[in-house]
Amino acid sequence: MKLARTVSILDRLIAGLLRLAGWLVLPIVVLLFLQWPLRDIFRVYSREANDLGQWIFAIYVAASVTAATRAGTHLGTDAVARFYPGTIRRALTRLGAILLVPWALYVILGSKDIVLGSIRGLEAFPDTNNPGYFLIKTALWILAGLMLAQAAIDIAQPRRNH
Amino acid sequence: MPAAGLGLLVLVALGIVFTGLPAFVILIGVGSIGAALAVLTDTVPLSLLAALPSRLINLLENDLLQALPLYVTMGLLLDRLPIADALYRAGLSLLPRRPSAPLVSGMALGALLGPMNGSVGASVLALARVVAPRLAESGVPKPTQFAAVAVASTLGVVIPPSLVLILLGDAMLSAHTIAVTSTGRADRVINTQDVFHGALAPAAIFLALCFALSWRAGRRIPPSAGPPPVKLTRKQAVLAAITLVALLTLLGGVATGYFYAVEAAAMGAFVLLSAGFGTGALRGAVLRGVLHDALAITGALFALLIAATTLTLVLRLLGTDRLVSDWITGIPGSELVVVAIVLGAIGLSAFVLDAFEIIFVIVPIAVPPLLIRVADARWVSVLLLLTLQTSFLLPPFGYALMMARGTLRQTLGFREMVRALLPFLIAQWTVLAAVLLFPQLVHVGENASEASRTPATPMTDQELQRRLRQMLPPPPEFEPPGH
Repeated sequence: MKLARTVSILDRLIAGLLRLAGWLVLPIVVLLFLQWPLRDIFRVYSREANDLGQWIFAIYVAASVTAATRAGTHLGTDAVARFYPGTIRRALTRLGAILLVPWALYVILGSKDIVLGSIRGLEAFPDTNNPGYFLIKTALWILAGLMLAQAAIDIAQPRRNH
Repeated sequence: MPAAGLGLLVLVALGIVFTGLPAFVILIGVGSIGAALAVLTDTVPLSLLAALPSRLINLLENDLLQALPLYVTMGLLLDRLPIADALYRAGLSLLPRRPSAPLVSGMALGALLGPMNGSVGASVLALARVVAPRLAESGVPKPTQFAAVAVASTLGVVIPPSLVLILLGDAMLSAHTIAVTSTGRADRVINTQDVFHGALAPAAIFLALCFALSWRAGRRIPPSAGPPPVKLTRKQAVLAAITLVALLTLLGGVATGYFYAVEAAAMGAFVLLSAGFGTGALRGAVLRGVLHDALAITGALFALLIAATTLTLVLRLLGTDRLVSDWITGIPGSELVVVAIVLGAIGLSAFVLDAFEIIFVIVPIAVPPLLIRVADARWVSVLLLLTLQTSFLLPPFGYALMMARGTLRQTLGFREMVRALLPFLIAQWTVLAAVLLFPQLVHVGENASEASRTPATPMTDQELQRRLRQMLPPPPEFEPPGH
């Protein structure tokens, strides 16, 4: 019961985070669109718009992988596996989640110095010195962390999104 | 150990076909297993895998990849807003009222929407919703409906500035940089714009053939079963005209280099979003649906990128890319033979990998050595695009076919499907063969000064291999096993 409750809380937490992340596409569209008039017409702040768009993009795509897992939109071929019985398919889904765990752990642990160093120094964009570059590196942990959390949920309760 | 990498590639193919798991899970899983075995057998030091986080961060800050959510959002908005319907009706009202008209109008819609929404999946959704029901009303047989939707959905692959073109352009830039540096040629490195320009003439020929084939397919439908009268309201006509002008402006701006492809995509998405908010069509559940789907579809593409980055790093550490490079640079015969063999191999991989997987996994391994043998990067790029388009349409697992079958909910026999697709496939292969035999088709209007220039002193094979080895490995101090 305790495990089911923990999984349920984690599941709702991820769902909430992904709902918020979905809205980020609006500023991405606006900022990347604004680059052209800011650069060619007004000749100001186009680099700022680009940098701002870049870190929002990084956080957006970092969250998007787990959103695709939950929505079942990942590319794959179902031509053979659709004939497998439900138990086999659930076992395969669980196996898929297990395969992602070492990768996600390695990415988090392997990037510890890069990410923490960047956050501690509030690293700015190298070319423009605009703030926020550390958020791009932090997005790597968001990517791997969400994938790890989703894998834990799928190992505990394999989802049926085939 | 380099051969172990080939084993990993076979494992990827088997895993994708027999587990039904997402391709990105298989790529990451096989990559992780390969890395673990390489470290446990002391083939590769663990410290070299530290390159992975940096490579993933490179993806997160890649300017060109910003096109992913933009194109996905455009595709979803085109599907949710009444634009595709207005364009289709306008096309139909301009054509003579014959049984062929809906097929030709559907094909034209595919050509207009393809570059704008970028992904084959989004095109299938839009065409299945707008065109397929009207083809059914007009008495078009089910296999022809299926073939029309599937073929029209792939037109964006070759008509710029689609997502496939942008991603291939980026992959070609990396591959060409390696080839130019390795050979010492004084070429200008290819960019996405060059790929756009190169694809224009072959895309125009294929489009003309598709129109002709659609018209011919329509002639077999009895005249009594002709299309019902089309109602084109004034509002729809205005919407279609504005969209057409906006589309042509965007395509023209990108083709002439006035806008970058990402900016054009941002502009398209911005205009569509503004139209959606302005007309009130984009609110509540519709808006939430677009945001949810945009995130989920972007994630499907980005997941493939991170997975391919993982696997290709492992293959490089194992030295598999060098093995492939030795094979390709050692193929006897002319440029034509080398290109035909490599394209054939990529075509074979299309039986199990989809176009995005080929761009992310196969192109970085197979294309740098190909471009060492073959200097014309623009020619190779367009041939790759046409091969990828074939991969989308190749029965029975072509991505466009799978998507069309799922979306149209049609149960077609294999033979029926092949019979309806065959004329289009033959047309597609004819264009592929024409480009293969006449490379000048991809150089229409190109500046002569951009041609490949060989170095003043010809390079020996040994020197070429040495330079290639310097270019390929991630950490230069590491010499992979077997070399």
